[in-house]
Amino acid sequence: MNSIRIRHIAAVTRNFLLAAWALFALFPIFWMVLITFKSDIEVFSTTFIFSPTLANYHAVLFRTNYFKSFFDNIIVSTGAVLVSVAAGVPAAYALARYDFKKKEDLAFTILSFKFAPEILVILPLFMIYQKLGIFDTYFGLIWVYQLITMPLLVWVVRGYFEDISVEIEQAAKLDGYTWYEVFWRILLPLIKPGLVSSALLAFIFAWNNFTFPLLLTSFNVETVTVASLKYIASDTVHYGQMAVAASVAALPEVVLALIIQKHLVRGLSFGAVKG
Amino acid sequence: MENSTEKPTAAQKRAGAAESELIAKATRIPWLVKARPYLIMAPCLLITIGILYPFVSAIFYSLTNYSFRNPTWKFIGIENWVYMFTDVEFWHAVFVTLQYAAITTGAEMLLGIGIALLLSKNNAFTKILKVVLIFPLMIAPVIATLIWQLMTNTSVGIFEKFLNIFGVYGFTWAASAKTALFTAALIDIWVYAPFVIVLVSAGIQSLPKSPFEAARVDGGSAWFTFKTLTLPMLKPFIYIALIFRLMASLQEFTIIFALTKGGPGNTLMNLSITGYNYGFAFLKFGQSLSYVLILWVIINFISRKLVGKYLLTQRQAAGKEK
Amino acid sequence: MAHISLKNITKRYDKVAALDNVSLEVNDKEFLVLFGPAGAGKTTTLKMIAGLEFPDEGLIRIKDEIVNVVPPANRNVSMVFENYALYPHLSVYDNIASPMRSSLYKESEEYIKEAVHRVTKIMKIDQLLDRLPSQLSNGQRQRVALGRCLVRKPNVFLMDEPLAHLDAKLRHFMRAELKEMQASFNTTTIYVTHDYMEALSLGDRIAIINHGKIVQIGTGSELFYTPADEFVARLMGEPEINLIDGAVSEERGKWNLRLLGRKEPVTLPGDIAERLAEKNVSDVHVGVRGNDIEYSLEPKGDGWFKGSVYVLEPIGNRSILTVIVEGVKIRIIAPNDFKSEMDQDIYINFHIADAIFFEQATGKFIVRHKQEELLREESKCLN
Repeated sequence: MNSIRIRHIAAVTRNFLLAAWALFALFPIFWMVLITFKSDIEVFSTTFIFSPTLANYHAVLFRTNYFKSFFDNIIVSTGAVLVSVAAGVPAAYALARYDFKKKEDLAFTILSFKFAPEILVILPLFMIYQKLGIFDTYFGLIWVYQLITMPLLVWVVRGYFEDISVEIEQAAKLDGYTWYEVFWRILLPLIKPGLVSSALLAFIFAWNNFTFPLLLTSFNVETVTVASLKYIASDTVHYGQMAVAASVAALPEVVLALIIQKHLVRGLSFGAVKG
Repeated sequence: MENSTEKPTAAQKRAGAAESELIAKATRIPWLVKARPYLIMAPCLLITIGILYPFVSAIFYSLTNYSFRNPTWKFIGIENWVYMFTDVEFWHAVFVTLQYAAITTGAEMLLGIGIALLLSKNNAFTKILKVVLIFPLMIAPVIATLIWQLMTNTSVGIFEKFLNIFGVYGFTWAASAKTALFTAALIDIWVYAPFVIVLVSAGIQSLPKSPFEAARVDGGSAWFTFKTLTLPMLKPFIYIALIFRLMASLQEFTIIFALTKGGPGNTLMNLSITGYNYGFAFLKFGQSLSYVLILWVIINFISRKLVGKYLLTQRQAAGKEK
Repeated sequence: MAHISLKNITKRYDKVAALDNVSLEVNDKEFLVLFGPAGAGKTTTLKMIAGLEFPDEGLIRIKDEIVNVVPPANRNVSMVFENYALYPHLSVYDNIASPMRSSLYKESEEYIKEAVHRVTKIMKIDQLLDRLPSQLSNGQRQRVALGRCLVRKPNVFLMDEPLAHLDAKLRHFMRAELKEMQASFNTTTIYVTHDYMEALSLGDRIAIINHGKIVQIGTGSELFYTPADEFVARLMGEPEINLIDGAVSEERGKWNLRLLGRKEPVTLPGDIAERLAEKNVSDVHVGVRGNDIEYSLEPKGDGWFKGSVYVLEPIGNRSILTVIVEGVKIRIIAPNDFKSEMDQDIYINFHIADAIFFEQATGKFIVRHKQEELLREESKCLN
C-alpha cells in the first residue's frame, strides 16, 4: 500500500473516531432537548418522529417554583462571583507584584480550596451556620461558594497581572497618576478580557454546584440544581417535565461557555496553561 | 565640624541634631507604603481565614461525640477514629474511593489525550468540534446524571431502545451492584473527559514547531516523533489534567449521590458518601468527620506527590533537567 | 531644570549591593551619560532618581530637596524606558497625551493637542497618531516613548538605553537626531547606555559605573586620555586598547622599560619616570591604542618587535590588524588598502610617548606623557 492510501485510511479512521466521540458527547443533550417537546404519551411511544408540544414548558415554568429556583441560582452565583472579584482581584495584584513573607504559602492555601472535599467543609459549616443563623440564607451560600470562585479568580487574574510588564505601571506613576488612577485607567483595561472570562467561568461552576445548596439550605433558598433533584427522586411519569427542568438549568452555561471560549483554557487550568 | 580643635557650641549642636532629625524624617519609608501589600490582601485574607475555620473545627469536633440528635457533647479523644479504623465499612469505602478515582481518571486521561491528538489536525471539522465538545463539561453534573438516568430508563430511555436492537433487554445500569460503578463512571467520563481534551489540546497547540520540523528533516517516523518529542513536551499539560481530575474524583459526591446515594447496597459508598451518611443520616456529626478527614489526608498526600512530579516535568520539558 | 545630587547611595537586593556607596552630582541643564556594562547598576540608579525604588542608605536630592521617599508621581521626573513601556490599549496620541492628563500635571485639552502635535512632528510620527503600539515598528515605538518623555517640562529627563533595540542604521540616525535635540532640551538629562559611541557623542560628562560603583566621572577626553583604570581604558576606543606587560627599573639614573620580557630597555621620558618613582612600582601594564603602533612588513631595526599576522579585519573605512607578538595579541589600526597574509612576518613599534601606564597589581592609572598639556589642548579644541 502506498503512503497516499495509508494517509487516506488514517484520515477516514480519524474522522470516524471523532464522529463517534462527538455522538457520545452531544447526543444526550440533543435527545434531552428533544424530549422537552414530547407529550407524556409520546415519550413512551415515539423515538425521533413526533408532534411537538410546549405543554411541558408550561407545566414546569409556570406551575411550579422553578422560576424562583432559577433566580435563587442567579443571586447566589452572581453574588459569589462579585465577592470573589472584589476581594480576589486586589489579592491577585498583590501576589503578582509584591514579595512578602509566606506569599506562596498563602497562594497555595487559596488554591487548595478547590481540592478540598465538599463534605469536609459542609459538615462543620452545617453546624456553624445554624449557630450563626445563616443556614438557608443567600449570605451563607455566597460565603461557602468562595471555595469555588475565589481560587479560580485569584490564580487566573494573577497570571494576567503578571503578563503586564512592571514598566507600564512605572511609566504611569511617573506620568503623575495615583495608584488608584493607575489601577482603573491602565491595569483594569488590560486585564478586562481575562477578568471577564474567569468571572464567567467561576459563575458557571458556582451555578452548577449541587452539594453546598443541597445541605446548607432548605426552604428559603433552593437552587436549580437542587430543584432538579426532586425530579430524579420522584416516581413521576412526567419525563418531559424532567427534561425541561434539566434543559433550562443546563443551557445557560453552554451559552456562556461559547462567549468565553478564547480564555477557557486559562481559566480551567487556573492559569497554569496559557491557551 | 571642620578641622577645628574647639568643641562645637551648644547652638551648633542643636543645629546638627535638628538637621539629622530632618534627614531621618526624609528618609523614613512611610508605613503606608510598607503596609500596602498587606492592606490590599486584607479582604481576601479575611475570606481565606473564614474558609479555613471549618477545617480546623472539623479536626476539633472529630474528637468529640457531637451528634445532631442531642445538644450535649463531650470530648472522647480518638474513640471515633479507632471505631473507624476497625470498621470494615471504612476500608470498603477507601477501596471504593480509590477504585472510582482510578477508573474515571484513567479513562478520562486516555480518552482525553487520544481525542486531543485526533483533534490536532486543523480543519473545519476539528474547529467546530473543539468548540462543541466543551458542552458536557459546562452542564451541572447533577443535571448530567438526570439526563443519563432518563436515557437509561427502561421505559422511555433511548438506550433501552438502542440495546433492544442487539437483543439486550433490561440492562441494569445503576440498579445492580455489577453495573452501578460502570454507570457512574460513564457519567463522570461524559462530563469530565472534555476537561482533559481542552487542556491537552491547548498543550498540543503550544508546542514549538521547530523540533518537529527538524525531526521531519532528519527522517523520523510518526511513532518516534510521538514518543520522543510530543509526549515529553506534553507532560506538564497531562500532569495538570491528571492532578485536577484525580483530586476531584477522589471526593466525588454529586454524581454518586444523585445516581444511587451510594447504593445499591454499598457498591458506590466512597468516603464522601460515607461521611455524608454518618453526618446527615445517622446524625453522628463527630464520627462523620473522621471519614472525611482521612479523605483529606489521602488527597493531600497524593496531590503533594503529583505536584512535585508536575514541577519536575515542567523543568524537563524546558530542557533544564533530564 | 534641576540639580541632582546622589550621596553615598547604597541599594541592596537580597544581600547583593546593586549600588555600593554611589555619589554623583549632576549640574543643572547638564547632559550626563551613565555608562557601563550590563548589570553595573545603571538602571538601578535611574530608578532611585525616579523614585521607583527607595535607597537603603544615602541621600538623593532634586533641587536641594531630599526626595528619598517621595513617590515617583510627585518628583516631576520624566523617563524613557528601555522597552518603551507604552500603554498597549491607548493610541499614539493618547500615549503621548497621558502625562498631561494626570491629576498632578493636568493641562487643558487644547494645550495637549498643541503639545502632542508639536512633539510628534519633531519625532516625525505625526501621521501615526491613531495607531496602537502593536501596529508600530520598533523604531516608531521608540519615538513615541521619547515623545511621551519630552512632552513635559520636568526637573530631569531620564533615558534608559532608548536606542538599544534599534537596528544599527536606525540607531545611528536617532543618535544624530538626539544630539540635535539635546541643544534645545534646556533640561537636566541623565542618559544610560552601554554603547561607548553614544556616550562619547551625546554626553557633556560621562560617569562610568561598574559593579554598583562609580569608577570615574569626566568628559569624553578625560576618560579617553586619562582613564582611571584599565577597565575604563578598555571600555573606550575601537579597537580595544592593548595592555602589555612591562617591567620598570632604574639603572644609572635613568628609568627603563622592558616590554614583553625583552632584554633591551626603552628609556622613559622624565615626567613618566618621576611618577613611577613616586609610586615605587616595578610591574606595569602599558596601554597602547591601535593607532599609536607602527608596523612594517619589512624588518626595520633593533627596537622593533617581530611578530606574525593573526587576522586582518576590514571594517569599512579602515582595518583592524591583529598581530601576535611574543604570544600576545596586539590590535593595530591599518588603512583600508593594507594587504597581508595570515602568519606573515610583521614588525611593530610602540609609541611609548602616547602610552598610558597602569599599575599591574591594581590596574589603576599611573601616568601618561605630557598628561596636563594634552587635557588642556583637548578641552580647548572642544570649546
